[in-house]
Amino acid sequence: MSFGRLPTDRRLLAGVAGLVLAALLAVEVLFPANPVTDVGAVLVTIVADANYVSSVLRLTVPIAFAALGGIFAEKSGVINIGLEGLLIISAFTSLAAAAALGGGDPNQTQLWLGFGIAVLVSTLFALLFAIVCIEFKADQIIAGLAVWLIALGLAPFASKVIWGQVNSPTIGTFNNWTIPVLSEIPFVGPVLFDASPMVYMLLVAVVASWYALNRTSFGRWIEASGENPKALDTVGVDVRRVRYTGVLLSGFLSGIGGAGLAIGRVGQFIGGGTTMVNGRGWIGITAYLFGNYNPFGAFGASFLFASLDALQFRLQQVGYNIPSELIGIIPYVTVVVVLAFVGRTRIPSAAGDHYESGEE
Amino acid sequence: MSDSDRDESGPGRIGRTLGRLVDASAVERILISLAALALSVVVGALVVLVSGFILSPCASSPFLATGFGDFCYDPLEVYWVLLQGAFGSTFNLAITLKETTLLVFTGLSVAVAFRAGMFNIGTQGQLVLGALATGLAVLWVAPFVPAGLVGGVVLMGVGLLAGAVVGGVWGAIPGALKAYADANEVITTIMLNFVATGLAFTLVSEVFKDPESQTVQTRSVPGNAEFPPSLLEVQDFSIFVLVGAILLAVGIFWLLRGTTFGYDLRTSGEQPEAAEYGGVDSKRMMVSSMALSGALGGIGGAVYVLMVAGYWQSGIPDLGFDGITVSILAGNNPIGVLPAALLFGALKGGSLAIEFDLAVPKELVGVLRGLVILFVAMPEFFRMIGARYGYGGDDYAVAADGSGADDASDADTDSEPDDASETDGETSQIDDSGLEDGGDGR
Repeated sequence: MSFGRLPTDRRLLAGVAGLVLAALLAVEVLFPANPVTDVGAVLVTIVADANYVSSVLRLTVPIAFAALGGIFAEKSGVINIGLEGLLIISAFTSLAAAAALGGGDPNQTQLWLGFGIAVLVSTLFALLFAIVCIEFKADQIIAGLAVWLIALGLAPFASKVIWGQVNSPTIGTFNNWTIPVLSEIPFVGPVLFDASPMVYMLLVAVVASWYALNRTSFGRWIEASGENPKALDTVGVDVRRVRYTGVLLSGFLSGIGGAGLAIGRVGQFIGGGTTMVNGRGWIGITAYLFGNYNPFGAFGASFLFASLDALQFRLQQVGYNIPSELIGIIPYVTVVVVLAFVGRTRIPSAAGDHYESGEE
Repeated sequence: MSDSDRDESGPGRIGRTLGRLVDASAVERILISLAALALSVVVGALVVLVSGFILSPCASSPFLATGFGDFCYDPLEVYWVLLQGAFGSTFNLAITLKETTLLVFTGLSVAVAFRAGMFNIGTQGQLVLGALATGLAVLWVAPFVPAGLVGGVVLMGVGLLAGAVVGGVWGAIPGALKAYADANEVITTIMLNFVATGLAFTLVSEVFKDPESQTVQTRSVPGNAEFPPSLLEVQDFSIFVLVGAILLAVGIFWLLRGTTFGYDLRTSGEQPEAAEYGGVDSKRMMVSSMALSGALGGIGGAVYVLMVAGYWQSGIPDLGFDGITVSILAGNNPIGVLPAALLFGALKGGSLAIEFDLAVPKELVGVLRGLVILFVAMPEFFRMIGARYGYGGDDYAVAADGSGADDASDADTDSEPDDASETDGETSQIDDSGLEDGGDGR
């Protein structure tokens, strides 16, 4: 009941404990024939595998980028619950643009162009959301839901217009960037120095976001815009502009995440059901709440969720005959468990509020 | 300047919003819904136009050929075909009414939660699990009841009950998580949708699968358990169920307006602190309102099995998400859900025709679904472009009936570890609550 009053690290610890507990419980339920310890041993060998860790990093990309974007928006005072929609839009756009530029088989340059266009489109969507929230004073939660639902309708609609079906054809993905010599280091080399460009971008973005939020005046404006907009106004900074920047950054970063998922990893847009994004934007929101609005914390939480996501592939490869749909729900169950533990995060006090400058 | 003063404290916003809400008459809310709908149709037409341009060169002769490219789709024709597809023949009308019937349940489900100040995005999951429970319960009970009408009625009762109970329990989970652990229900309900779909799929594929079917589905329920096609003599639609849905909407309306429970539920949604002050156990109310909401979603699932499909199958349509639009369009009013469901049912019914006749993807309805929510969420926009009521720079951050805005601020309140730190916000809320109750005029 009093989680909010616990210090952050204690809460984080409780959250991690909850995660481990949930995972163990899931394992116990899933493998009645195999005692937990046995599976534990298998898990350890999987987790210690460099391939596994690098696949987790790739899976972290969309979640963590969405989370970073969410931090900027929410800290500035606009709760952007439409991150999932932004991921969907950019995932679709990246594929559509790259395929349009390069026919069925775009080269690396065309992929990067598609990537850029996707990030742009996602940012424009975020701009739309910002206008709706800031100019037209829409309820942020409902407008965010609308962004998600519009994307959920628009992407499969456009897929069907372009490709005649909700899924796109398969195209190539970004080549890995291999750093000579360093990539030869055992374990660390293949994980960190022979990775998808998206992974490098993510690592840079996490550090840059932390720096921007904690060491620059822009970071202080973002903070003030969400905590005490009137004070910010008083010192002569335009609150609306800070909030626009925050939301646009969430669109920009989610754009990288969505495009990174579609043409960074999968090479296809899948538009059926909840689309290929499959709740990663919502998981991203949970990740930054879990990480208490700290980019490093959000990255860590995203990595945790992604590792659960990656586990399902690996467990099947190892040969456990468990229905994939059942393993597939583990990350979502974990999100619910984590939310139950970290529910009482302290969100910026003016987040969700419309701010009206006194001069108007 | 006083605006910016109040902007500082989160909870103060609830009172502010509701203060304004008193001024917003029912007529105005209806006008906003209609305007939002009209604007969505216009933007939808643009989407159609642009997608026709992207598609060019067209398969058949273009509707509009310009120097810089061809437009393949004529938006007016699309909407005309949509309308005809929705009401053009008895068969089409039945399809529309079938969708309407299902949407009444999911719309009511979302509306009840909204009224209690909760966003139930999880109606979809509650519906999926409710549908599975219905299918399994009916199959399980069927051998023990006589064939024919009597047995059929028993089976329908069992099916509806099973759907309601399982949907209700599944809905109560995010309610309890919100009440006792402060977990944001928007995220938990969405996550539980994924969990529900995965669980139901696994249960059916591993345990309850129809051995004769290639796809993941249960065995069909016996024919006498399915609602009889009537009036329009078209499969998958029964007028009895539609009448039942209408009665249910009236019942929910009465429950919210005419009973103590309903009063407590609404007060908890609009003025949580005031409700608490008046002796309502707000935590228990969160759980019970979400359970009621989930039960309604579960009944929707039961109707899907007993009226439409005849069995549980994977890939149940997005009825829960459509329910969000229906509820928001209806201003979260149970009676308003009826026309909103009809409207949306018509869109869904007609969408099959536009895909079949014009090759315009039926997913267009999904786009409209989102647009409607977006535009209803920004009434200020319509005020700005429409009549200038003299509201000027006033804040009107309210969705359909204000419960949406409450919830956003709710999150603010929750963020405080202890309510004591927000004394001024609370005071303003309690002040406004008197105003609100009087002004809401029931």
